[in-house]
Amino acid sequence: MIRYRIRHITRYKYASRVTRCYNLAHVVPRNTHRQRCLKTSVVVSPTPARAQKRSNYFDNIAFHFEIQKPHTALEITAESEVEVEENNDALNLDLGASYKNVLAALNDNINHDVIDARQYLLNSNMIETSDALREYAAPSFSPDQSLKACVSNLTTRIFTEFKYDPMSTTVATPLADVLKERRGVCQDFAHLQIGCLRAMGIPARYVSGYIETLPKPGEKKLVGADATHAWLAYYCPDEGWVEFDPTNNKQANSQHIVTAFGRDYFDVTPVRGVIFGGGSSPLLEVSVDVARVA
Amino acid sequence: MSNVTYPPALNQVQSQGQPVALKPLEYKATAGLLDDACEEDGSIKPQWAYILNGLRDLGPDVLRERELKARRILRDDGATYDIYGVDGNSSSSWELDPVPHVIGSEDWANIERGLLERAELFNLILRDIYGQRTLLRRGAMPPEALFTHTGFLRACQGIRLPGDHELILHAVDMVRTRDGSMCVLSDRTQTPSGSGYILENRTVMSRVFPSLFRDSHVHRIASFYQRLRTKLASLSPSDDTPLIALLTPGSNSEVYFEHAYLANYLGFPLVQSGDLLVRNGFLWMKSLDGLKRVDVLYRSVDDLFCDPVELRSDSRLGVPGLLEVVRSGRVAIANPIGTGVLENAIFLKYLPQISKCLLGREPRLNSVTTYWCGDDDDLQFVTRNIRQLIIKPAFRGSGMHSVWGGDLDDKAIDTLLASIHKNRYQFVAQPRLEQVYTPAFAEDKLEPRPTLLRTFSVATDSSYMTLPGGLTRIATQTDGRVISMIAGSPSKDTWITATEPERALSSDVTPEVINAQQQSNMVSLPTRVVENLYWMGRYSERAEACLRLLRTVFVLLNGEEPISDSAQRKLLETVTRITSTEPGFLSGSPELLNNPDQELLLIITDGARPGSIRSTLNALLSAADESKELLSTDTMRVITDLRDAMNGLEQNLASGLTSAPEEELDPLVTALTALSGLMQESMIRGMGWRFMELGKRIERALQIIATLRCLVTPVTDEADQSTLLTALLISMEVLITYRQRGRERRGLELGLELVMLDGSNPRSLLFQLNTLQQHLAELPKNATIKDELDEEERALLEALTTLKLSRLPHLLTTASDKREDMDVLLVQLEKLLNEFNRLLSDRHFDHRADVLQLVTTFWGEQ
Repeated sequence: MIRYRIRHITRYKYASRVTRCYNLAHVVPRNTHRQRCLKTSVVVSPTPARAQKRSNYFDNIAFHFEIQKPHTALEITAESEVEVEENNDALNLDLGASYKNVLAALNDNINHDVIDARQYLLNSNMIETSDALREYAAPSFSPDQSLKACVSNLTTRIFTEFKYDPMSTTVATPLADVLKERRGVCQDFAHLQIGCLRAMGIPARYVSGYIETLPKPGEKKLVGADATHAWLAYYCPDEGWVEFDPTNNKQANSQHIVTAFGRDYFDVTPVRGVIFGGGSSPLLEVSVDVARVA
Repeated sequence: MSNVTYPPALNQVQSQGQPVALKPLEYKATAGLLDDACEEDGSIKPQWAYILNGLRDLGPDVLRERELKARRILRDDGATYDIYGVDGNSSSSWELDPVPHVIGSEDWANIERGLLERAELFNLILRDIYGQRTLLRRGAMPPEALFTHTGFLRACQGIRLPGDHELILHAVDMVRTRDGSMCVLSDRTQTPSGSGYILENRTVMSRVFPSLFRDSHVHRIASFYQRLRTKLASLSPSDDTPLIALLTPGSNSEVYFEHAYLANYLGFPLVQSGDLLVRNGFLWMKSLDGLKRVDVLYRSVDDLFCDPVELRSDSRLGVPGLLEVVRSGRVAIANPIGTGVLENAIFLKYLPQISKCLLGREPRLNSVTTYWCGDDDDLQFVTRNIRQLIIKPAFRGSGMHSVWGGDLDDKAIDTLLASIHKNRYQFVAQPRLEQVYTPAFAEDKLEPRPTLLRTFSVATDSSYMTLPGGLTRIATQTDGRVISMIAGSPSKDTWITATEPERALSSDVTPEVINAQQQSNMVSLPTRVVENLYWMGRYSERAEACLRLLRTVFVLLNGEEPISDSAQRKLLETVTRITSTEPGFLSGSPELLNNPDQELLLIITDGARPGSIRSTLNALLSAADESKELLSTDTMRVITDLRDAMNGLEQNLASGLTSAPEEELDPLVTALTALSGLMQESMIRGMGWRFMELGKRIERALQIIATLRCLVTPVTDEADQSTLLTALLISMEVLITYRQRGRERRGLELGLELVMLDGSNPRSLLFQLNTLQQHLAELPKNATIKDELDEEERALLEALTTLKLSRLPHLLTTASDKREDMDVLLVQLEKLLNEFNRLLSDRHFDHRADVLQLVTTFWGEQ
């Protein structure tokens, strides 16, 4: 087990006074089959009139708060300790069900997990499958190969064929543009690969989270380490949800700490809400610090 | 409202030989068509016989007269559908056919059993969908049938209402089929509309056909609304008398009439987004005396628009943070947010399995056969038979409309098939149903019209209750294919007729319950409503003042005694000032001043010009719409009269000013006077009335000041002064008093005394300020130190004192071309009154801060 301490700070600065606001944040790590959130605290400034944490439809932790006093800055500090299973980095791609068998199993089984997974095949707010996505993905898939090998191949192709470019996209850039321009950030790559997988008939979901800030001596620092990160998971009836990180060209491992799962970014937006007043375009600043605890 | 596309009927009428001349109002079904009133051999069915005989005996002339009477009542009640219309030209009045839709009570008992069962079933589906979703696990339908539906709101997972029945209101659209049973076309569960129109239709019919109605032993519908009220109250999380509010999207909603009507009938405050706010985890209504906690919200806002924090972030119709309050059980919403998912047309395909799974049997009521393109076999079937099918979106709010494949050419079919194959989960298809006809009155005969029925069920303590009746809608003509409100389809009252008179139930809603609620509402009106009443007061006064002045000017310009050019110019300039339609006559253009007719006409009729009579009246009407639920029936009638008088005036003036234009203005002045009279005589002396009065008095005071500054402040020669004084006295309605008192004194001084300082003249400036002070004393106070004056009290007191301390002779002294002292006083008073007005609005009215989203979201882009 590796234990991490995560500090995730979100700051908004407004051009003019905000009289009140209502927010929903996904900044507290959830439990998954490979991690447990041991303790957590969220501090909001100014002090909210009411704050409430709950587990939602996706079993994510949703944090709601309302502020009823005038302010020009908002700060949300989430601190958590998470224990992550150590996994063996060397993955054997040849093991596991073949792509063909997975497609069949998804159709024939109607156990709870498969039913639940099938909603991740459908279009969602920000991801619409298309022939173009299918055409892009198809070369990575072959019926008799293990699904994991296919997905891994797709991950590598996205990593090599797309340029990581924080200036090229915004939250609202459509998937089709990302595919055409061949550039984007972790969120775009996650959406892209999810779209590809869904187009190929494989349920896929969005994963928001963090990766370890400072690498072990001798290892390269991973992209996305100073901010919230995003990757994806696909579903295979035999193996459950398997996570891949196209931005770093690897299967998610003990350096990846999950905050939330969703159909796409929309379901797990770190902070969303409605503010009254505030002027135009608030300034947003996010800082993330992930450190191992001895 | 639904938009059901009907195919053209098969086997169009084979009329054999010459049509037989019918007796007046004899009803004859068209041979071969399915008619609800006739047997196959053409004879009238027993349950219809009494009504149709009764109508025949009345004869076409009487029936037409009754129809007109019904139309008048509907008009007087302000019954509208979509009053703003698409392109402003859609038919807006609510159409009611005088022939009721009759259903025999035994037949109805059967239908009712089916409806009750269906409501129970849909309630169970709702609970399962937002709970365990066993329906998916047990294979009653494929997961995609649910997951694909935009109405399935994951944010609503686990939210519960108290009691076993969470689907509070369930509406069903259905038609009769050839075997006599009913077939359901769709279920309405989100914010089903129509129950208010049913109530209005019934009110009108029972007044227009009192004996026919009485003798038909029609089942009463009042108890349905009573049950609805009781059920809503039972959902309240608090032990005190619950505050139940009706949430409407606002007066732009096409069914706003119904919201105001129901709010009024049920005794609930009618609220909009801006009237509500979430604070400290509760939902509150902003009222004059502070925030009132809302316990139950009866909503008419669609699911996705209810909370911009968690649902559609661009919604301005909901309340930020509402879902979180619902989740914590601190407010109950009916129907619960998320019920839109039950309108999923895909469910109709799987309803037999779903019902077996939840109830252990197939549903009693049939639904229209539904093919879902998400199913492989169905997709094939639809592709092959698309010309014989109606293609519908599975999700009603998706922006797609139903199309009848038979209407499309090859190219359109290809396009449709392409979009179906691209997004197959989103489409369903249904066969055309045979149309069913009922008799409708058309000019002087009864003719068959395609007919659709919407019914309503409401949850009770233990089960459901179905409204005995419903909203029947018919096509606009016999071969009409589309029945929808948007196409202007008329409605019918639906009569469930018993062979025996109904046991005398408590025939109406218990009066004391409603009164109690209304009483408490008097103190807790939403501030928006109060603000609109205030503006209603101001606009009605402004319109009246402008009209009086215009009338005066017309009389003087066209009078027997010619007036000088300089007096004419002053009068015209006054018109421009008082109506605030600058530059107008103030531009000094000689052409304009010599030929003033065109400009005067525009000042009356040009709605696009701020300050014109038309635009002031439009503002008055829209303020009245916003506070509709507080206005009495008589007031609504006068409001409608105003609308009509304005339209009439426009027509009369279409070809320019007539010889005596002042007479054309009379109907408007009369309607406005009637409105003031009603406000005075029929409104409860609550906060609403007080603010309307405040608005009226402020406006009148400002108008007096402006008129004085135009007509009296400038120094003119004797003749002109006399003309202008006459104008002042006529437009201020004091000419007669002036003449009576004028036996001893005459002239400007007496005139000014009457207009400014005579406290017994209800049109004097002093009277306005005194009245303002009285009203102000009754408003909720803020000052923390006892007897300390609020800011607005100070401003008003200063104005009043300044006026009282002035001396008339002093004011009349002339220095140059202007009565300087008079002008200074008037300017000072105007400033203080505007200040008073600003302070009053700031304190009591709500000014919404701009709302901003922290993230942009992407609903509806799928």
